[in-house]
Amino acid sequence: MHAPNATTPSAALAGTPLARAGAGLDLCVHCGFCLQACPTYLALDDENDSPRGRLVLMRGLLQGDLQLTDESVTTHFDRCLGCRGCETACPSGVPYGTLIEATRATLAQRRPLPAVARFLLRVFRHPRLLTLALAVARAARWTGVPALLARLPRDVSFPFAMLESTRGRDAKPSYAPAAVAEGPRVALLTGCVMEGLCATTNRATERVLAHNGYQLVDAPGQRCCGALHAHAGDVPAAQELARANIAAFERSGADFVVTNAAGCGSILKEYEHLLADDPAWRERAKGIAARSRDVSELLAARGPRRGGPVHATVAWDAPCHLQHAQRVVQPPLAVLGAIPGLRVVPLVDSDQCCGSAGIYNLVEPDTSHRVLDTKLARIDASGADLVVSSNPGCLMQLGAGLLSGGHRARAVHLVDLLDASYAAEAGPHAT
Amino acid sequence: MLPVGVERELADIVGARFVLTRPGELLAYTADGLPGYRHDPALVVLPGNREEAIAVVQLLARRKVSFVPRGAGTGLSGGALADGTVVVGLNRMRRVLDIDVVNRWAVVEPGVVNAHLTRAVAPHGLHYAPDPSSQTACTIGGNVAENAGGPHCLKYGVTLNHVLALTVVLANGEVVTLGSTSGETEGYDLLGAFIGSEGCFGVVLDATVRLTANPPAVRTMLADFPSIDAAARATSAIIAAGLVPAALEMMDQPTIVAVEASIYAAGYPTDAAAVLLVELDGPDAGIDADVAAVERWCRDAGARDVRVATNELDRQRLWQGRKKAFGAMGRVSSHLVVQDAVIPRTRLPEVLGEIGRIGREEAVTVCNVFHAGDGNLHPNIPYNGNDPGEAARVERAMVRIMDACIAAGGSVTGEHGIGIDKLPYMPKLFSEASLAAMCRLRDCFDPERRLNPGKVVPVRSCKEWTMAPAARA
Repeated sequence: MHAPNATTPSAALAGTPLARAGAGLDLCVHCGFCLQACPTYLALDDENDSPRGRLVLMRGLLQGDLQLTDESVTTHFDRCLGCRGCETACPSGVPYGTLIEATRATLAQRRPLPAVARFLLRVFRHPRLLTLALAVARAARWTGVPALLARLPRDVSFPFAMLESTRGRDAKPSYAPAAVAEGPRVALLTGCVMEGLCATTNRATERVLAHNGYQLVDAPGQRCCGALHAHAGDVPAAQELARANIAAFERSGADFVVTNAAGCGSILKEYEHLLADDPAWRERAKGIAARSRDVSELLAARGPRRGGPVHATVAWDAPCHLQHAQRVVQPPLAVLGAIPGLRVVPLVDSDQCCGSAGIYNLVEPDTSHRVLDTKLARIDASGADLVVSSNPGCLMQLGAGLLSGGHRARAVHLVDLLDASYAAEAGPHAT
Repeated sequence: MLPVGVERELADIVGARFVLTRPGELLAYTADGLPGYRHDPALVVLPGNREEAIAVVQLLARRKVSFVPRGAGTGLSGGALADGTVVVGLNRMRRVLDIDVVNRWAVVEPGVVNAHLTRAVAPHGLHYAPDPSSQTACTIGGNVAENAGGPHCLKYGVTLNHVLALTVVLANGEVVTLGSTSGETEGYDLLGAFIGSEGCFGVVLDATVRLTANPPAVRTMLADFPSIDAAARATSAIIAAGLVPAALEMMDQPTIVAVEASIYAAGYPTDAAAVLLVELDGPDAGIDADVAAVERWCRDAGARDVRVATNELDRQRLWQGRKKAFGAMGRVSSHLVVQDAVIPRTRLPEVLGEIGRIGREEAVTVCNVFHAGDGNLHPNIPYNGNDPGEAARVERAMVRIMDACIAAGGSVTGEHGIGIDKLPYMPKLFSEASLAAMCRLRDCFDPERRLNPGKVVPVRSCKEWTMAPAARA
């Protein structure tokens, strides 16, 4: 009566990343507790678009019951956001993130990625292409044209609205961070999108860290973190980028590698896993992973120092790669707690994905927008003026959704809010 | 094989995206929460609202197609499996239609998740009392079908006690209302017959459920015992004293270890042979005296330690650990069977002793996590299904455990339902005449026996009959 369901890989998939990760499937007892934690299940209503359903499909592939060429199967993997909300709901500890990445890596060996994805991943892999692309994007933003295009119907306007949403404050730094000579040395992963489009947030990150007693050190030679590549199944590219970053951060001599982008922070902490099969780099990867921190973690470790009042009603929307992948839950709340005058209101399902998910919103726009619409309705219901997050993808997704949907709230990075608080404390005439 | 054209006609009703027929896409629907059983459905249809659901059932009635209603697929008896027939998934129908705070009831669609109903009414200081451990995933429609219980049903009663009325579509497509918001029934209690009918009597379109005021005071206690027997004796002492806790749950050491390794780690002592989770609630006055009494009875039975949750967060953690324990069993081994039997509470110590003995004799790991207060046992046996010898021992152990429960004057299900998993035990519990009477009751609702065929009552002729229309196609 109890048919065996444990996974014995079929010959066709022997040696693939999925076959190597397949033992993780055996942890699933099919309890279904993950269903309501899955944004794509809630948006699409089909269990094949749930974690439990996808695990069943993975097992079907491994056992040879299903084929990698069957589009009715692979489409459900393509539709996964990779938010890993299921992992923090799973009592059995199914390593879903590892399994979906392994599935995608296996798929990538058999079929090309969509053209949009291939183009984007190539750009992020090549520093000069990336610099050029981001410069073009900044120039376009400066013209004001994206702001106009953002008013078109969402199907065509969304990328422009995303770009427009990155338009930062022009404010100059208006407080002098307390200079500290003995604090821990930290190197900022400047990131691609963050430095290219949200440089003001990177500068704010440096100021708030310095104001909390950290010494900033440079880490020249750093590149894209590789998260987009790893999530899409392009493991070799992710590994190449990881090696470059490990070398750069080792040279910097920093005590901590800090990120203000949850997605980047997550992959930094997983470099050991990414390079597990590379004896020359495994230990070095482990060292960098162990020293990687989200900016909120470093700030919370120092209090953080309280600032001046910022009068706003805000809601925290946790980036998935902070909440579920890094399991960093309390530190961002501690940062908000250091800002007097804030009214922090609850956001229902603040731990659920907004539909951004790296390049997902560009590759799977339909599902992404369904997931986003749920989030926007929750934000409206919360009564917040500002929805606070800490990942460029999330901020652009939320920002674009709020802009193009005519909503009251605006999206802001956690660090920018704290920076504003420190500026308010220093007063309007401080330098 | 389905009759020609059914797929297209269903797609006309619900949209092509919500009719699944390709083998890969049906795989997720071949099992519920007990994946040891797999049946391949011919098709899955997901109606999005009441009108679509009625139209789907009417179409299936016209074309004489058998079907199985399914909620979230969290059931633990194989009840929502469709063998070559149609699965009607109701997860898309998840609107809370009305909340009447003054009269304390709510009207919900069948796909509303149990915990979401409580979340929706929480601002009014109310909750929906039946709280199956799967409440963050399972649906009200499924709860009605299984007459679901949960830890707090010890004091507050099971689903049956909290459903005032149901609008259902019968297998022939007729829409009827059972019960009323007044809570009174005129004539026979057909509502009572429907609740727990495991999807064999009809499909719920909406349920009017009772809402319960949150108690003014709650105390949650964790008692730590050096033996299962001591925990069982403490349970008997609490019950014998006439105190009715809101919940009284037991977990044994293998269960505690699995939970403590999980994301739901609750701080249970991993060196305890068993713990009791006892919740008391009610008015502020007197509750602390009850807490003191429970502590005394636990210590008298041999408890090493008894502690009371210090705050709401602590209390939630203690409960989350208990409620997610079933899911955590995947940590122990790759396969899992779970049983659900009810025994007289006074016989807990001896039956738990017997279960332990059976586990040792068959060399299998029995993890006990269950509703001790109402004698509702849930022996879980994680095992390696790729080892045929072990699988056979597990099979034998399960049958022996169920036989022991029946011999102790118990029944074979407390809340999981019969489904297909417990069919073999029904003739041990009921006479031919009783089983035939159940079949006749079913015929009042579904004379063609097209709804959830092959479940609950093991009558061979029922199954053969239901296969006939499909064979005609």
